[in-house]
Amino acid sequence: MKRFSAPIALGLAAMAIVLMAAPAQKSKMIQIKGSDTMVNLVQILAEEYMGKNPGTALAVLGGGSGTGITAIINQTCDIANHSREWRQKEIDQAWEKGVQPRFFVIAVDGLSMIVHESNPLEKLTMTELGAIYRGEVKNWKAVGGPDKKVSLYGRQSNSGTYVFMQEHVLGNKNYSTDMKEMNGNAQIIEGILQDEGAIGYVGVGYLFDKDGKVRKGLKVLNVAKDSKSPAFSPLDKAAVDNGNYPVARPLYQATNGKPNAAQAAFIAFETGPEGQRIVEREGFFTIGAKHKEMNDKNLR
Amino acid sequence: MAKNTAVGIILIFSLVILCNGIVSAQATTPPPQTFGTTIYFDYTSYLSKNGPVTSTAKNNFFAFRRAYFTYENKINDNLKFRFRYDADNTANLTSVDIKTGSTKKDDKLRPFMKHLYLEYSNLLPNSAIRVGMTETIQFKLAEDKWGYRSVAKTLMDGYKDVTGVEVNAPSADLGASLTGSLAKYIRYGFMISSGNGYSHPENDQYKKLAAQIQLIPLAGFSLVGYLDTEKQDKDNSATTYKLDGYFEMVKNLILGAEYFVYKNDKYLTPDQMRYDVSGFSLFGRYVFSPDVFALFARFDKNEPNNTVQNDEISLAIAGLDWAPFHKSMKLQPNIWYVTYANSAKKDDVIFNLTFFLSF
Repeated sequence: MKRFSAPIALGLAAMAIVLMAAPAQKSKMIQIKGSDTMVNLVQILAEEYMGKNPGTALAVLGGGSGTGITAIINQTCDIANHSREWRQKEIDQAWEKGVQPRFFVIAVDGLSMIVHESNPLEKLTMTELGAIYRGEVKNWKAVGGPDKKVSLYGRQSNSGTYVFMQEHVLGNKNYSTDMKEMNGNAQIIEGILQDEGAIGYVGVGYLFDKDGKVRKGLKVLNVAKDSKSPAFSPLDKAAVDNGNYPVARPLYQATNGKPNAAQAAFIAFETGPEGQRIVEREGFFTIGAKHKEMNDKNLR
Repeated sequence: MAKNTAVGIILIFSLVILCNGIVSAQATTPPPQTFGTTIYFDYTSYLSKNGPVTSTAKNNFFAFRRAYFTYENKINDNLKFRFRYDADNTANLTSVDIKTGSTKKDDKLRPFMKHLYLEYSNLLPNSAIRVGMTETIQFKLAEDKWGYRSVAKTLMDGYKDVTGVEVNAPSADLGASLTGSLAKYIRYGFMISSGNGYSHPENDQYKKLAAQIQLIPLAGFSLVGYLDTEKQDKDNSATTYKLDGYFEMVKNLILGAEYFVYKNDKYLTPDQMRYDVSGFSLFGRYVFSPDVFALFARFDKNEPNNTVQNDEISLAIAGLDWAPFHKSMKLQPNIWYVTYANSAKKDDVIFNLTFFLSF
């Protein structure tokens, strides 16, 4: 036993330092990471918040919902932005690593189906949209449009928007191999502006120019739940709020357990009247009573 | 015969699944492909002079230990392909000078195949099947939790390096594995493989069978049981029993423990008695600033032969992990303190400045 006393002492001393260090750590800057759909909105919210609260520091990065969720599981960020719900695998990983996420909804997004302005089509059903993105419809004529080849634009697979579309529009089936996988909403819009046969999907907040109007060169399609239902626009707040617009989704943030005071103050700002005014100004929809109730509960 | 048939059925079943994946892959989105490289090398200085390791004239040196090159191709949302080359300079080859005919030792860094497998996800809910040269399940979890493969292999992985005793624990092997979860409280893993690891072709007709179960009753608290067995010949078998525990309930702190016993019927004392090989490891790390600064420490005790007195070897490691510029480049200074129960052997004390590069 005597022979092992030195290494045991060294091991225990090092372990003790590791353990004593544990409670001392404090993070100064709030690191936010995740959804590309949310990155512009949350950056603006963070800037406004820092302006009103000198001494606070927030850093907001994109990378996709999957990247943000992985970062909160690995404890390399404080708040994850995600435009889809967590997958079971992510919930399991979090549980194993002692991360018990709390979720907040900061805005609602009417995911918008956009085409080139020269396309005379006005609306699509969910079934038609799914068939188009699975590559089963290759010409606009098949869904009442012009005799023109369909050109698909979408997001890369680590995007929450990619997953949301796959689950809610494509019926969990694979995208067409012909889809161009773009890195962000802005790239999808740029592609569509130059392609008369194009269709793409972007967060509603990316549709508008500086004057708050839908960008020139784009047309926003109305979407119907099925062929018997009326079609609604993602620009119609009432239709998004009451669930008549079928491709709407909450935009989430997640924290590792109960948010600390600094994180809670920022989330309260985002979900409070000031933050929600910014949400609306940036083209997204404000949260309803159900989401407010969930946010309040998870902040406590 | 029945066992051979069973192995064949498993492999055919796996291939059919993967072929289905390949067929469906042809009709899906073009794949995201990734390339990655991880390298670690050390500057080592012996702080003691009389131990079994440190009693050499060469008491400080640079050593290049690992260079991984990994290519991954996500063929579709379910199917992934991985190819990983590893490189080290332990091949111990002799080369011949074509001009003079003289021979010399040639120990350049040489690449070798580490991983080459297809992975099919979600055939069963929340599961993954891998076929090919794939990671073993024996200590993958321990390695993830320890987090410093660049500094030291985990207990079983590094057992032969420390004690000289083989416990048949390769990090990769040719075969098929199934891993997954049943709700968030239970993970499972099964593997059938050649048992010879990635560095040797299969040399017998016997297969290694491994099973693991991980229970996570509380968020951040895991208990893991592992068992593997392989026949060594007609009459003898080798079996590994392993128990792990992991505690991650305090933010940024990970504590882990591993214990294993290896029984090989062919391991016999001079008086023909069977003996067990065993060891335990305790480790911890605390992250002060994610991707920037952390401290780590570990204590292992190795028992190479339970019938022999005073043959235990203990290893204590302590160090820090610092990424001064970017998380892709880390400095990991660490001290190894090796003590031998045999009082004739002096302690080895070794300082390493480990350079970790990942891009």
